[in-house]
Amino acid sequence: MSIARALREAGVLGINRRNASYTLRWNPRGLHPGVDDKLQTKRLCEQAGIPSPKLLAVARHHFELRELSRSLMRLEDFVLKPARGAMGNGILVVRGREGERFVGPGHRPLALDDLTYHAASIISGLYALAGQPDQAMVEERLRVHPTLAEIATDGVPDIRVIIYRGVPVMAMTRLPTRRSGGRANIHQGAVAAGIDLRTGRTAHAVLEGRAVARHPDSGHNLMGREIPGFAALLEIAVRAGDASQLGYVGVDLVLDANRGPVILEMNARPGLAIQLANRKGLLPRLDAVDAWWKPHRSLEERVAFGASLGASRAK
Amino acid sequence: MRKAAPAGPAVMNRPSLLTGLLLIGIGLAFFAWKVWGYDLPVVPDDPEGLWRVELVITVRGAGERGSVRAPLPSSGPGQIVYDEHSAADRLRFEIRREEGQRTGIWRGRLRDIHEISHGFQVQLSGARMEVPGGRVEGPPADILRLYGGPTPRFPADAPETFAVLESLSLPPPAEVTARLRSIFALVNHEIEDAEQASEDALIVLANREGSERGKAGLLVTLLRAAGIPARPVTGLWLQRGTPVTEASWAEAWVGDQWVPLSPSLNFFGRLPEELLVLHAGSFEGVTAVGAEAISYRYHALRERLSPEELAALMMPPNPLLQALSLYRLPVATQAALRALLLLPLGALFMAMFRNLVGLPTYGTFLPVLIAFALRDFPLALGLGLVTGVIGVGVLGRLVLERLRLLMVPRLSILMCMVVLAVTALALLGGTTENRNLFAGVLFPIVILTMLVERFSIVLAEEGTREALVRGLYSLVVVAAIYPVFQSRTAEHLMFGFPELVIAVMGWLVLIGAYTGYRVTDLVRFRAFGSRWREAS
Repeated sequence: MSIARALREAGVLGINRRNASYTLRWNPRGLHPGVDDKLQTKRLCEQAGIPSPKLLAVARHHFELRELSRSLMRLEDFVLKPARGAMGNGILVVRGREGERFVGPGHRPLALDDLTYHAASIISGLYALAGQPDQAMVEERLRVHPTLAEIATDGVPDIRVIIYRGVPVMAMTRLPTRRSGGRANIHQGAVAAGIDLRTGRTAHAVLEGRAVARHPDSGHNLMGREIPGFAALLEIAVRAGDASQLGYVGVDLVLDANRGPVILEMNARPGLAIQLANRKGLLPRLDAVDAWWKPHRSLEERVAFGASLGASRAK
Repeated sequence: MRKAAPAGPAVMNRPSLLTGLLLIGIGLAFFAWKVWGYDLPVVPDDPEGLWRVELVITVRGAGERGSVRAPLPSSGPGQIVYDEHSAADRLRFEIRREEGQRTGIWRGRLRDIHEISHGFQVQLSGARMEVPGGRVEGPPADILRLYGGPTPRFPADAPETFAVLESLSLPPPAEVTARLRSIFALVNHEIEDAEQASEDALIVLANREGSERGKAGLLVTLLRAAGIPARPVTGLWLQRGTPVTEASWAEAWVGDQWVPLSPSLNFFGRLPEELLVLHAGSFEGVTAVGAEAISYRYHALRERLSPEELAALMMPPNPLLQALSLYRLPVATQAALRALLLLPLGALFMAMFRNLVGLPTYGTFLPVLIAFALRDFPLALGLGLVTGVIGVGVLGRLVLERLRLLMVPRLSILMCMVVLAVTALALLGGTTENRNLFAGVLFPIVILTMLVERFSIVLAEEGTREALVRGLYSLVVVAAIYPVFQSRTAEHLMFGFPELVIAVMGWLVLIGAYTGYRVTDLVRFRAFGSRWREAS
C-alpha cells in the first residue's frame, strides 16, 4: 500500500480519523445546532459582533409563506435558503428583477410562485440534513469582492477556514464554475484554491481532484492571487469559531465588496478536500496546535500561530 | 532533524482495541465451547432434495421357482443414489446391468408370502440439458439400433404415425431440435391428459387423449418414426407433502445426449428436481414370473432433521446452555428470531462498506434493509424489481413536481405509486406463474418510497451522475450483503449460536475505532502519492 504510506507521510487526514479524533472528540453534539441551523449561527455571530449577511425574512410554518412572499415582492435581489440545509443544497440566489419576474441562477426567470413553492419545500424539510421540518430564510445577496469575482463564474465564491482549538490551520477559496452551476461546492465541480495562511495568497488549485492553474471558464490565472484583508478575515473566522465553541470547525466566509469578510455559515464536519487544494495534510498542523496549545491564548497570538503554520510548511 | 521514521498515527486507540478483542473473544469462546465441548453442528444438516426411498414388494407363490424384477435407480444427471440396502426374504438377490440401467432381480422358489424390500437414499438436484439448435450430428449406430426402430409398444412404422408426421410438415431431418419441438408440441397440446385413458400409442393418437404413460409412449413412437431415437423412462415423483407417485416420460437423443421431455409433466430439456429416474428404456415397473400374486409400493421420506431432532442436537446436556438455547422457543418465535439474528451480520457488512471502504450509499441501513427484504427473491430479479419500482417512483415524482404539493402528501402519493407498481408486478407474477414476482407483494414499500425520495433529491441537487453512482454503490452493497441473508449456514450459525452477536459487536467496535484511511480516502488523495510535481 504505497499510497497509504505516501498519505501518512504527507499527514493527510482521512475521514475515519477526522471523525474519531477531531469532530467526535472536539465537537459535542449539543453544540451542533449552533452551526447546523444558520439562523442560530446568525444569532451567535450577532451576539459576538461578527458580521453576517442581513436577514430579510423568515418563514417557519406554511402559513407564514404568504407573509414571506409579500416580503419577497418588495425585494430586488436576495438569497432564499434553508436554515438547516446540507452541502449548499436548496440555496436559491435571486440576482434581480425583470418586471414581475425574478432572475434566478443562470438568468432563469422565476415567478413568485416558484419561489413560494421552493420555500414550502424547504419548510417541509426537503433539503434539511435529516429531513426534519425546517425554516426558510431570506438573506441579503452579498456583493463579491472584485478580486474574487474576477476568478469566479456566475456565483458567490467563498473562503473556508478550518479552525482547530481556536487556531486557523488551513484555508481555501471555492470558486464556482459553469459546471458547478454557480455553486461553491467542490463535489459539483467548483474550483478549490488553497490559500497560504501566512501570505493570504492562493497557492494551488484543484478541480475535480486534479491540479489546475487557470479557471476553466475564464482562463484567469488562479495562482498567487492575494485575498485582500486576509489577516482581518482570519481574525473574524477565529472569532466565529470561538463563538461556536466547537473545537474543530470549518468557517465559511464571503468577502463582500462593501462589508469585507462576512460569516456565511459554519460546519461541524468540515470536508477534507481542503488538503488537496493546499497540497498539504492537516495532521502535522493539528499536531502542532496540540503541542502549542495553552488556555487563554489571545486572539492575535492564535491567528499569528496559524499564519506561522502556513510558513513552516511552505519550505 | 526529522525523527527516524514517521511511525504514523496509531490506527486505533488501545481501549477500543481491547474492548473489541475482548468481545470477539467472549463470543468466540462461547461458540467454541459449544462446538468442541458439546459437538453442536456448525453447518445445517439439512440438504435440499435428499430423500430416503423404500420399495416394498409382496409376492405370493405356490412353491414354483420364479423371479421378481424391479427397476433400480443409478446415479446420473440430477441424482446421486447411495446407501442402498435390500431385504430378500429367502430369495437370492442380484443386480443386473444392461445398457447402463440397473435391474434388481430376486430369484428362488416362491412359497407363501415373501416380503422383499429395497431401500436407498437419493439426492435430487434436477438437471438441465443444453438442447443444441440448428443441425446436429446423427445418432451413433448402436443408439439408433436400440432406440430407433419400431416395437409392438412403440409402433413407429404404423401408417397412422406417418400420417400424423405428414400433417406436421416437419423441418428437414438434419434439424433434429426443430423436429423434436414440433412433435413435442403436438403431443403436449393436442392430446388431452386423462388418467384412465389408454396407454397404447395408437389408441391415444386416435382418441386424442392419453394417460401420462400413454402420451409419453406416443411421443416415443412419433419421434422414432421421425428418425429421432427415443426411449421411455420410468421414475418417481417425489414432492414434500404429497404421496410418492410413479411417473413416465420420454427421452430423445439429440446431438450426443439424452434429453428428457414430458408432454404431461410439461418439461423439455430439463429434469425437474422432484423426479427420480428409475429406469430408462422401458415402462416396465415391478414384475414377477412364477408368482400367483404380487403387489408393491414405494415409500419416500424427505430426509431431513425434524425440528425435534435438530433441537435435540442443538441442545447440549448442560443446564446453562439449555436454558440459553433458542430452540426451546415456540416455532413461530424461532422463525422471527432466525430472521432477526441475521441483521447484525448485515450491519457488520454495512459498517465495513461504509467505514473501511467508504462507499457512499443511500441511507445508513437502507441497503441492509433492502437486502433483507429481498431474502426470498433471486438476486437479479430483486435488484431489477427495486430498480424498476424506483424508476416508476422517480418518474412519478417528476410529474408531481409540477403540482407543487407539500412534502408529506407528496411522499404519500409516491408511496401509492410504489404500491401500485408492486401490485402490477404481483399481477404480472400471477399471470406468468412466476411465483417469485408474486412474492413481491410482501416487499416493504415504505423503504422503497424513502429511496425514491432520496434518489430524487440527489438527482435534483447533485446531478444525475452522482445520483446514479450512489445508486450503483447502494446496489453493490445490497448485492454483497444479500448472500448473507440468503445463507442457511449463516442463519443456522446465528440462531444456534447467538453469542456470535457479541463477536459481531466486537468487530464493530474495531471498525468503529479504526482511524486509518478508507479505501476512498486513498483514491481521493492519491495525488499526494505522486502527481503533484508535474502541475506546478
